[in-house]
Amino acid sequence: MTSFYAWVTGLAHSGILPADFQYPFLVRGFLCVLLLTPMLGGLSHLVVARRMAFFSAALGQAALTGVSLGLLIGEPLNSPYAGMFGFCLLATLGMVYVKRRSSLPPDTLIGVFLALSLGLGLVLLVAVTRQFNVHQVEAILFGSLLTVTDSDLLLLLAVGVVVMVLLAREYNHLLLDSLSPTLAGVEGADSRFLDYFFAFLLALSIVVSLKIIGALLVEALVVVPAAASRNLARSARGYLVWSVAVAFVAGAGGLIVSNRFLVPTGAAVVLGASLAFFVTLVAGAIGRNAGGAAGGRRATGTAIVLIGLVLLANRMLIGAPLVAAGAYFFKFGWPTSSR
Amino acid sequence: MSTDASASSILDVSHLTVRIDGQLLLSDVSLSVTRGTMHAIVGPNGAGKSTLVNAVLGQIRFDGRILAHWRRNGRIGYVPQSFAVDRTLPVTVADFLALTRQTRPVCFGVGRGAARRIGAMLDRVGLSGFEQRQLSVLSGGELRRVLLAHALDPLPELLILDEPATGLDRTASQWLEDVLLAARDRDDVTVLMVSHDHERVKRHGDRVTVLDTRVVADGAPADTLA
Repeated sequence: MTSFYAWVTGLAHSGILPADFQYPFLVRGFLCVLLLTPMLGGLSHLVVARRMAFFSAALGQAALTGVSLGLLIGEPLNSPYAGMFGFCLLATLGMVYVKRRSSLPPDTLIGVFLALSLGLGLVLLVAVTRQFNVHQVEAILFGSLLTVTDSDLLLLLAVGVVVMVLLAREYNHLLLDSLSPTLAGVEGADSRFLDYFFAFLLALSIVVSLKIIGALLVEALVVVPAAASRNLARSARGYLVWSVAVAFVAGAGGLIVSNRFLVPTGAAVVLGASLAFFVTLVAGAIGRNAGGAAGGRRATGTAIVLIGLVLLANRMLIGAPLVAAGAYFFKFGWPTSSR
Repeated sequence: MSTDASASSILDVSHLTVRIDGQLLLSDVSLSVTRGTMHAIVGPNGAGKSTLVNAVLGQIRFDGRILAHWRRNGRIGYVPQSFAVDRTLPVTVADFLALTRQTRPVCFGVGRGAARRIGAMLDRVGLSGFEQRQLSVLSGGELRRVLLAHALDPLPELLILDEPATGLDRTASQWLEDVLLAARDRDDVTVLMVSHDHERVKRHGDRVTVLDTRVVADGAPADTLA
């Protein structure tokens, strides 16, 4: 990895990449964003379709409790993955099990679990801060690039590949089950398995995202990209592509802002995603007023070109393909694969 | 559901009892659906008609026995009574129909083979050119046609419809009747249908079971619905 970082640093010094990339930790952070965004973006539109936004918030809190537990049982501060994943898995199984067996609304049940894990987390956090500096623990709450290591990156790559392969395998059943559990059952899908399966993938993804996004904010990156995507998308494919695109722009933009203005990475990323939501909300409304599909296409194309130009102005070469893609979209819309 | 290929009936329900949250929804229901017929289930609201369908589909727990006798593909086509589409979920008609007709995730697009097949399915239900419409903007009648297209491909051995004519105007109801008769008479599909329309059941049904938590009557429509 060292030679790779040296190569990227060289590109930053020669002006091909923004000056921010002369720091290896930022290159590492950017690689994290490249891995995180397809994974969280891909999950996010199913999270919204399956009405699991609140569930994701509860998992973020459970991860915080898991971190505290991990540190108390002696895990290293930089990688308390066993505690995090163990407690998240336990909370996931508990929430899905109770949800499937109770007649109470799911959001009420998840609220109970959220309160439980937050209360437990805060109690444990007080115990943890007796052993560790509170600023070290803060990184887990809000995310920090400085604590991300090459091992974290490799773990993220491995988990990302596994999550995306498993998700692709069950995607059609998951979406049909979101639309109509009865129809999905008739077509051979096992609703109980899908509930546990998706919750497991979500827990796994949240755990590996925590170091960069933070326990308190990771839920936002699982929900906001899909919410923004919904303002523009007109098909399942569009829903996925826009979710990933919004997550990527928010992730990359948040990284740069975090580095330049010394604010927590997670907060900057989530603010970027929220900004993207309002931009797409306006673009979607303009599109509808300007005449349905054609108007929406033009508004969306314009938005992509503008984002691309902003990135180019910051010497980010990724802006060039965005400008080209936006211009193509403005003129022609999606290249259709069907019919 | 157990299976046995030897009988002339396609579905035998014996002593079916369903309780949910302590409430008795079906009590000791027994009926037999003959292969290649149109069998109607009628009864007042709360009689347990949809509960019976859900039990046959394996969606709820029950006491008793449900035995299916498959000879062909053993496929059940199902058109639910209601299909509440999330109004803001951007799923097109083609996306929805492709979910069970291609292995590739639909979020990567609809493949050419699936698209051709979906085009033919939509032609069959009079919705040519509806592929790119979002499910959320369809009218109740159009959505019902899409669900019927889904249920009829591949051709099922047993087609179950829960109050299929609800929300349809007279023309659409007539069209639905023609499609169901063609499925039964031309394609040898057995139709099990929950219905409130006694006149239509009398005209085209081969057998009727009248439910009111238990079986009140079972026989030919002319005798049972007189």
